[in-house]
Amino acid sequence: MKENGFYVRADKVSVGYDGKPLIRDMELFVSRGEILTLIGPNGSGKSTILKSLIGQLELISGTVYLDGQPMKNYTKKETAERMSVLMTERIRPDRMTCEEVVETGRYPYTGRMGILSADDHRAVKDALLMTEAQELKDLLYNEISDGQKQRVLLARAIAQEPEVMVLDEPTSFLDIKYKLELLTVLKKLAKEKNAAVILSLHELDLARKISDRIACVHHHCIERTGTPEEIFTEEYIPQLFEISVQDYRRYFGLPCENLPSGEQHRAVSGKLLRCGYTTGTCAAAAAKAAALYLLKDEAAGYISIRTPAGSTAVLEIEDLHRTESEAGCAVTKDAGDDPDVTNGILICAVVGKIPEGITISGGKGVGCVTKEGLDQAVGEAAINSVPRCMMREALREVMDSAGYTGGLKVCISVPEGEKIAERTFNPRMGITGGISIIGTSGIVEPMSNKALADTIRLEIRQAAKKDRKKILLTPGNFGLRFAKEELGLDTGSCVVCSNFIGDALDAALENEFQNILLIGHIGKLIKLGIGMTNTHSGNGDGRMETMAACALLAGAEQETLRRILSCVTTDAALSILQKEGRLKSTMQILGGRIDACLKRRVPDTLPVGFVCFTNAEEFGGVLMQSENAEELMKRWRIKL
Amino acid sequence: MVLMERKKRIRYNLSFLLLVILLLVLFFLNLVSGSVQMRPEEIINALVGRTGDGAVILWEIRIPRILAAFFLGGALSVSGFLLQTFFANPIAGPFVLGISSGAKLVVALVMILLLSRGISMNSLSMVLAAFVGSMICTGFVLMISGKVRNMSVLVICGVMIGYICSAITDFAVTFADDSNIVNLHNWSLGSFSGTTWDNVKVIVLIVIPALFFVVGMTKQINAYQMGATYAQSLGVNIRLFRTVLILLSSILSACVTAFAGPVSFVGVAVPHLMKSLFGTARPILMIPACFLGGAAFCLACDLIARTFFSPTELSISSVTAVLGAPIVIYVMLRQHRKEWDG
Repeated sequence: MKENGFYVRADKVSVGYDGKPLIRDMELFVSRGEILTLIGPNGSGKSTILKSLIGQLELISGTVYLDGQPMKNYTKKETAERMSVLMTERIRPDRMTCEEVVETGRYPYTGRMGILSADDHRAVKDALLMTEAQELKDLLYNEISDGQKQRVLLARAIAQEPEVMVLDEPTSFLDIKYKLELLTVLKKLAKEKNAAVILSLHELDLARKISDRIACVHHHCIERTGTPEEIFTEEYIPQLFEISVQDYRRYFGLPCENLPSGEQHRAVSGKLLRCGYTTGTCAAAAAKAAALYLLKDEAAGYISIRTPAGSTAVLEIEDLHRTESEAGCAVTKDAGDDPDVTNGILICAVVGKIPEGITISGGKGVGCVTKEGLDQAVGEAAINSVPRCMMREALREVMDSAGYTGGLKVCISVPEGEKIAERTFNPRMGITGGISIIGTSGIVEPMSNKALADTIRLEIRQAAKKDRKKILLTPGNFGLRFAKEELGLDTGSCVVCSNFIGDALDAALENEFQNILLIGHIGKLIKLGIGMTNTHSGNGDGRMETMAACALLAGAEQETLRRILSCVTTDAALSILQKEGRLKSTMQILGGRIDACLKRRVPDTLPVGFVCFTNAEEFGGVLMQSENAEELMKRWRIKL
Repeated sequence: MVLMERKKRIRYNLSFLLLVILLLVLFFLNLVSGSVQMRPEEIINALVGRTGDGAVILWEIRIPRILAAFFLGGALSVSGFLLQTFFANPIAGPFVLGISSGAKLVVALVMILLLSRGISMNSLSMVLAAFVGSMICTGFVLMISGKVRNMSVLVICGVMIGYICSAITDFAVTFADDSNIVNLHNWSLGSFSGTTWDNVKVIVLIVIPALFFVVGMTKQINAYQMGATYAQSLGVNIRLFRTVLILLSSILSACVTAFAGPVSFVGVAVPHLMKSLFGTARPILMIPACFLGGAAFCLACDLIARTFFSPTELSISSVTAVLGAPIVIYVMLRQHRKEWDG
């Protein structure tokens, strides 16, 4: 008799030690083929729940059903035939080879003396293969690394051929590569062997990737159960772990990547996880997976890739295929419902062998640069230098590990790219035929504006709880990095406010901050020069007009103004001014306007300052700043 | 892969062969050597025809003694192997943990008590007393092991318990006024001498069934080598298993103590030697290997004890200590290094 199809079900179960319940009246269920992950703060009772499910701890009350029957109705052997475990307990079996460790998994199936049959040996071999631990089999268990041990123990649990596997923190001791492999194995186990999998994880990003459902352990109960989409919201997770939304974002590497020249704007999503990864990261991951398949014949289910922000992104690989000389695959740009047109599109990479070097080209759906002043030269594919760099780095890594000495060519394509590009800024920026491979190209659907502004308000409110004295605002990651690396400021309490500079100022005012410092790229802050406090490009542009107006006041020639107005990027305009020798004076005028704009929004009693910069090579650095900026910055200087 | 399997199998077979040959050689040497020199034909006559003075020496003295050394040596090292499994540590053993000395103390006290009333102890009551003594000490050790996770500390505590028990035994022996005190003193030092056929019968009756049980637990022991959690998840009844394991190990070591006094370090040294010889700790191999290895080790030690300073006999424990303690120290150092590294 199956009960609602759930293979394991905990019914009103209370668990704990010495009769004292730590978790009360929990309901938990998992079907075969499903992965359920427990998350929650340290000490919340995840391990206790798992120990109770496997019968190591006695239940205080309630019943755990296994395959429709109360678990206590089974004999120990019957339970062992259905359930295998991987717990955190460290073992030191004296002089046992890894193979012998895995063989203990066959215990429920062997006879009195525990001698393995041919079938048992086959199961052991399969388990070793599945976890890629074959090469360890003759080594002594006590002499291998912790990560290897974990793989051997996983093989052991698989060799037991369970219908449900319970794993407590299985990723501890594993490096990112094996973490991903472990997840691939667990997915395989669930999908191919139709096993139910229950595990606890610390790594939220992994939990989100792997789980079909997530149960959150908090406040002595299972506080919430749901799909990853339901659980991973910017409202809930920080509350669960008692962290700030900021810390949470930083954990997920959000905001995550550079955008070209500050023109395209990166959406801060209302729900943080939706920010996902940029097209550049997706392309680099796809290229890496294809190269792995081509050179090492490794069909990876997941790929990890380092983002320029320093965090590691984990992406699922689809549609791997290969011929003799080429391999390809695709990555879905996973951005939840990020208000971004590129959400959900496939980004494909095909990698082929060439005699030497690494060449990167754009295929169908990837734009072509037709105007000067962009990240790439005219005629090149609109794949910006950051993703190009990421791809090169990833491919080198694969080539090195495969011992391959030739070269590789990569072609990135986006099947829907051409159509989507029409809805972006690309045509205006002189990129034709498709989208750019980098962040997004800019269009944000207006409907989410309110949600975005609300998120920023929430963040500012949380920052106020930490320190009411001062707040650092920046539109994006550029500003954050500049503040930290160039200005040497403590960005721990920095709020990334995206385009919502006006809203952020209002919120700072409401929360009674005593000092406000805004640090931003000129591409954004210039808009303050005409009083636009929402710098979203959907609200209008006016950057070049502002620049031209300031240049005019600085005494620029009409020809210069005309050239400025035809510029695509602020850096291009700055470059013209530089050549004319009017950069400094123009910036001074612009600075005055920005200052005035800020002062209009914030009462005189509240000191507000700004620093405006650019990253362009020839005149990179601070372009202008408010008079009080130096004074204000002192408050954020990191004390050594 | 298949090659590897075959290599292993050859290694196991050769190792067993080596042990059997060693045992046969030691049997022979123990048979022919002793304070009374015997010519080969005398020995054959004595063995086959059971005639002459030699027959008495062989059949009443040497053969029972050989059998005692054989079974008790085997029992002791199997007991050590069980304790090592229980504590998941290769330096556990009945002597190191003070269990043998506890058995010795209770036996000595009971003996003195009974002797003072003119009752002499029979083999079975000796074993019983020794068993009670080992259980008490095991209880102590278990209590301590519940508090300290560090095996070295546990061993130090065991050695201390051993010293306390030995001191009390010495104290009792010193103040016991009986002519049998000499025997008691010899016994408390440890020796296979003076074993009678009656003794051998009791030894066999205890050791063989106990071994039978141990062999029956092979599979559980194998699972338990993975630690309690995993063993439980594989279907082992942990509480029952641990109880039976401790009982068996205590019975085996108590039997040794009752007949030969405390014999030091065999329980650690032999399992270690066997694991090195076979290159594995699989209980299905280790249980018979430890038994045979322990038997050979004790036969060799007894041979040395009897012949080295003949006609003076050394105590068996002195010999096993000289040969066994360095191995124990080696295992401890290796263990220590691993604890630090791991």
